[in-house]
Formats: sequence, structure tokens, C-alpha cells
Amino acid sequence: MPALAERLNRVSISASVIMTIKARELAAQGIKVVSLASGEPDFPTPPHAIEAAHQAALAGETKYPPQDGTKRLKEAVQRKFKRDNNLDYALDEIMVTNGGKQSIFNAFMATIDPGDEVLIPAPFWSSYSEMAKVAGGVPVTINCPQNNGFKLRPEDLDAAITPKTKWVMINFPNNPTGAACSRAEMQAIAAVLMKHPHVWVMTDDMYEHLVYDGFEFCTIADVEPRLKDRTLTVNGASKTYAMTGWRIGFCGGPKALIKGMMNMQGQATAGVSTISQAAVAAALDGPQEIVRERAEEYRQRRDLVVEMLNAAPGISCHKPEGAFYVFPNIAGCIGKTSKGGRKIETDTDFAMALLEEKYVATVQGTAYGMSPYLRISYATNTENLREACGRIQEFCRELS
Amino acid sequence: MKLIADRLDRISPSLTIAMTAKARALKAAGKDIIGLSSGEPDFDTPRNVKDAAIAAIERGETKYTDVAGTVELRRAICTKFKRDSGIEYTPEEILVATGGKQVIFDALVATINPGDEAIIPAPCWVSYPDIVALAEGTPVIVQCGQNSGFKMTGEQLEAAITPKTKWLILNNPCNPTGAAYNAAEIKALTDVLMRHPHVWVFTDDIYEKLAYDGFKPATVLEVEPRLKDRTVTMNGCSKAYAMTGWRIGFAGAPITLIKAMDKLQSQSTSNTSSVSQAAAVEALTGQQDSIEDMRKVYERRRNMVVDMLNAAPGLRCHKPEGAFYVFPDMRGCIGKTTAGGKKIATDEDFTIALLEETGVATVHGAAFLSPGHFRISYATSDEALREACTRIQKFCAGMK
Repeated sequence: MPALAERLNRVSISASVIMTIKARELAAQGIKVVSLASGEPDFPTPPHAIEAAHQAALAGETKYPPQDGTKRLKEAVQRKFKRDNNLDYALDEIMVTNGGKQSIFNAFMATIDPGDEVLIPAPFWSSYSEMAKVAGGVPVTINCPQNNGFKLRPEDLDAAITPKTKWVMINFPNNPTGAACSRAEMQAIAAVLMKHPHVWVMTDDMYEHLVYDGFEFCTIADVEPRLKDRTLTVNGASKTYAMTGWRIGFCGGPKALIKGMMNMQGQATAGVSTISQAAVAAALDGPQEIVRERAEEYRQRRDLVVEMLNAAPGISCHKPEGAFYVFPNIAGCIGKTSKGGRKIETDTDFAMALLEEKYVATVQGTAYGMSPYLRISYATNTENLREACGRIQEFCRELS
Repeated sequence: MKLIADRLDRISPSLTIAMTAKARALKAAGKDIIGLSSGEPDFDTPRNVKDAAIAAIERGETKYTDVAGTVELRRAICTKFKRDSGIEYTPEEILVATGGKQVIFDALVATINPGDEAIIPAPCWVSYPDIVALAEGTPVIVQCGQNSGFKMTGEQLEAAITPKTKWLILNNPCNPTGAAYNAAEIKALTDVLMRHPHVWVFTDDIYEKLAYDGFKPATVLEVEPRLKDRTVTMNGCSKAYAMTGWRIGFAGAPITLIKAMDKLQSQSTSNTSSVSQAAAVEALTGQQDSIEDMRKVYERRRNMVVDMLNAAPGLRCHKPEGAFYVFPDMRGCIGKTTAGGKKIATDEDFTIALLEETGVATVHGAAFLSPGHFRISYATSDEALREACTRIQKFCAGMK
């Protein structure tokens, strides 16, 4: 085996993947594991999207698509940005990618030179920092403390910007905390960025439709239109339409950036599955009631989970605005010993002991850049959630 | 701070796409254009494959899969490698990607450090040198002319290997020449590789099923199994099953390399479409009759195109063993003037004048690093091919 490329040694494997695999191994031994580790909706793909995929296959839409996406899907994305976000993008300012992940990968690979800094508010989805590292960049985290609802404070952002800052990542509703920014909060962030014209903004709005209790989502290029010429707005079908397996992300941004990203994608994967593109065009243009119905279902689950976790000794769980995650603080459990005799010194110890003793899979906060916390995904049915939270309560009660 | 990263400057703009765009513009302007520039089967995806995709959607196979692909597909790929080439791989030695292109990207970006060399026989698909350059490696181009059937000899390979050589990249049968290596010709190369244990070999066998006159393209590991711990065997569904739009490529390789490729892919796109993966299972394990039907049609077209091109003054067309391309030598036309008054100094002049004066779109040889030739794809109907070749004959006959 030859030495791997240096760039790959900088990358680590996602903790949620490791947890999911471990949970699967236990399940294979016949143990009833409840997994709250995966960031994937448990709902099916909407029927009109499925129908569009059928029709596309039968009609022979099985040829190479243009590298930036089919015209049909790009037009649907254009309408979506206008309808949901009040953003006007021309067709050459839009591209379709293999999942939202590839939009981010393309943007980093197309723009980051060695040593460029990427500011990442923490807690964060670990792929942001891993992708920045693959591209030779330096991830710089900005802490977003629980006492500020896990949101980015403008003064912290201002203090983190240096002449080497190339990108600031924004992800609200946030994976892993579920936190979302109001328009006023986003305006304060935008005001800082207006002072630093060399900084680009990438906003990952994948969870935009999953906000609760009347909370209104906003995106930065709409809040501050003067930032639009240095903002990449990333979104996709995975979370809104429960279409993770179809692998469709998309983004809108300035033409020069999109062109660079297309060159990058042209060398990495070329176009995206035509069948998936047809399905997502139908999802974007079709009836949207299903999105609201599912959001209401998620809200009920969130309320249940937050209430049950707060009843567990040693855990304090903030109630977030959106996404399908909660990020409970487990500081009150640190230093204790589990019933099975495991010493809990870190959130990783907690998550491992919880999985091995109570068969509930979660992900430790360390994996998202903040500890001691747990990420709990409530994208599973109420029965599973009730069972899992019951086991967590028991686990905490038994700590000594 | 400039927006675009240095790494993108290392990629050459795609000359194939420039030609396609020009042809599209002429067509939009109402010109009668025959496109022979696309590397895509004109057949539709077989019905059994489409039905399998639709059935998978109905079963709800619309969720994330393992990054490396579903276990079902990886098993099907093992079966395919065993059945077609006698190579034993386990599912852990298989990775599924978004098209063969991503397999190449994953393997090269995961292994190449700055200055590492990759030997590439030319004429070649330019994505190989571009991806090597993107990974900061150095492409070492070895010219293989028509006199050797566009194939690399053992002596040429031996002469190109240095201590910095990391990869040999083979494409068998080859885009753009259609040239294919039989077992004896591969043996000449593997004998050299056995003497240089630091060199890895990447074999792109995507056109494997398209070979004529009873020719059997050989893959590296069926000829020299001792190279298994440093070989990547790449294949896919695009060409054999007319599935370009579904975006399924795959590879077998040593487990350590597969793990590294998996890690990179987990931070760029994750798994490829779950629906496309289900379709690929059926393609690889279902009835294989459609391949032979397509192959016979391609063989008939190849024979016709080669005959007709060799009847054009100034052209010399080698009859290749496989793929769906021919790569005629046009140097007999250099220095002449077309009926439209255009002076032909290069292969690019030739293809542009051919497009503008006769409406036949082809790609010039420089786009494949071999000037003095042009590429014709015969993946289009017999009637269109006959008409196109007639126009080429007239075009050449009209030169002075």
C-alpha cells in the first residue's frame, strides 16, 4: 500500500457514522437498539416526486445531464428561491449537486488556497471542518454558547475575522442544536459581515422548513441583499421532502463562483442522476402541504423529547426553534459511574455507556465541537422516542 | 483576496464541451447538425433495469445508504467481477461512486501527493490528466501512435517509470481511439509492473463489453493476479447498459485503499443515489441479452464508418477493437483549403470547418492530447452515420 495523500490524513471519519455502525452491529446480534443517531427523516418520499421519477425513467430521461443540472430542475430551484426566500437567481447562478454536501465541497475546493480560514460557528456539522481541511483550509471555530440559545453572537464573529478569513459558515436551523436565528439576529450578523468585504458567506439552509411554534426562517442574502454577491445559499431536498437517498442538493450564488464550482464538479462526478433530478423538480413545484404537516409532527416529537430529557437527573435540555435535533447538556452526569460500572468522564463515555447498557444510540457533543453534550435526532416515531427517552431517564437515575 | 483557488487553474477547460456548445448553437439557429461528438450510447436503459428502479422506489429505498454503496450492489459487483474476469473481490473491497469519474477522483485525490507522477498513455480522455493535476500530481503523457494501434508497449512503460511514479492509468478499450489490449498485450505491461513494486495501476474498463470481431479485452488482474494488492479495477453501468444518466461507477481495490476512497467520498458526496444503485443491481445480475444486441449494432456501425472514412481523401482510419469511437488521422488534409475557403492548419481547424460547412460535429484530437486526428463517436443511428460520413467524404474531396 502506498502512502495516502497528506490531505486525507487530515480528515477524520464522522462520529455519527461510527455510532450508526456500532448500533447496527448490536442490532445484528438480536438486541433491540433504538437509534437516535441518524440525521435522516423517517417519512417516505412524497408520492408526486415518486411518480415523476417513474415517468422520467419510462420516458428515457436516462442520458448524461448537463453538469450544472437539468433545465427543468434549475427552473424549479429558481422558483423555490423566489417563493421561499425572496431571492432572485438567474439560471447561471444556480447549480445542482449530489446532496447539499457536494455544494459545500465544490465551493471549498474551488476557492480555498492553503492557509485560508473558514469560520465555523460551533456546535457544527463536522463535515464543514473536514471539507475545509481536504481543501487545504484552516477551520476556525466560534463558540455559540447554550446561554445564547446556541446562536452566533455578532461580537464573537467580528473578533474571529482575520485578513485570511475566506468563508463564514452559517447553518440555522442548526445541526446539531436545532437553533435558528430570527431576522433581527441575522441582521446583526450581516452588519458585521458588511464591515469585512473580503469575507464570503455560505449559508446551509437545509432545515429551513423545519421550524416550530410560528418561528419564521430567514436567509442572509434576503436579510441583507448587499451581501448577495458574496453569499452562497445552499439547500436541498433531503430534509424538506425526506429524499436523502436521492442525493439532490442545490445552491444559488454569484456566477463566477458557480462557474468555478461547476469546473470542480466536472472533474469529481459530472452531473447528478437524471431520475433524482426529475423527482426533485416535482417535489419543489408540487403541493407543499406535506411539508407543513410533517413540521407539525416534528414539533410534537420535539416537545415530547425535551420534556422527557429534562426529567432525567443530570440532564438539562434547551428547547430549540427547529431542525430535528436537540442538544442536551449532560454536565450533571460527568464524574459519575453507570450501573454497568463505566466511569463517565466525557460525553463520549456517556454515549458509549448509554449504547452498551441501554441500547440507545446518540452522538457525543465532542463530534460537533462542544462538550459535554449529546446530539439526539428525533426523526423517528413517537413510540421509539418514548422508549429511548425512558431508557435515558433510567440510565441517568442509575448513575452513582 | 481572489475568489478562485489555484488548484482550479491547473484544470484545462474542456475542449469537448466547447465543441458541443458550438454545435448546439448552430442547431438552435436552424442548421442541420449531425452530432458525432458525444460519448454516450444512443440506446435507452433496458426495461428490466428501469422496472427494478421503480420497484425500489415503491419499496421505499429512498434513504441514505452506506457511503460505499448498498451491500446488495457491492455483492452484485463481486459477482460481475468473478463472472466476467475471474477476479475474486469481497464486498469490503468494493466502492460504488457517482459515475466512473468519481472512482477516478476518489482514488487519485486520496493517494497523490504534490509531485507524484501518473503515467497516462495518449490519446486519452483528458479527465485523467486533469484529475491528476487537481490532486497536485504530475501527469506523464506517453504518446502511442496509430502505428502501434494506439497502444502502449512494455518498453514505453519501462522508459516512463521513475522513482516518483505512483500510478499507471490504463483505459481498455480506450476513449478516444477504441483501441483495446488483449491478454498478451496486457501481459507485456504487467511484466514491467512486476519489476516496479512501487507503481500502482488503475484500469478503467468501462467499455469492456464493447469489443468486436471476437476480441476479448483483458483486465490487469485476470492476466497478473499478483498485482491485486496494487490494482484498482474500475467499471460501471454507463456504457454496457446505456445508463449514463443514472451515474453509477464502481471499483474493486485493496481494502486499505477502498477505505481511504470511502473516507474522501464521505466528505464530498456520500453515497450515490439509492434508486440508481437498485437499478444497477438488476443491470449487473439480470438478463444480459441487451448487451449483445447493442454490441452487434455497434460492430456494424464501426465497420461502415471505418470503410467510409478511409474512402475520404486525406483521411486514414485505423479499425479499432472496441468502444464506440474511431480516431482517424487527418494530417493528409493539413495545408489544404476547404470548399468554403478555410485554410486547414490544425485538427481544430478541420473540425470547426467540418461543423460550419457540413454540419457534422466531431472533436479534434488535441482535446485528447493527440493532434492530427479527430474523434468520431458512432453511438448514433446508422442513417445519421451514413449521412455524416458522406458529408465528410465530400468535405475532404472538396479540399484543394
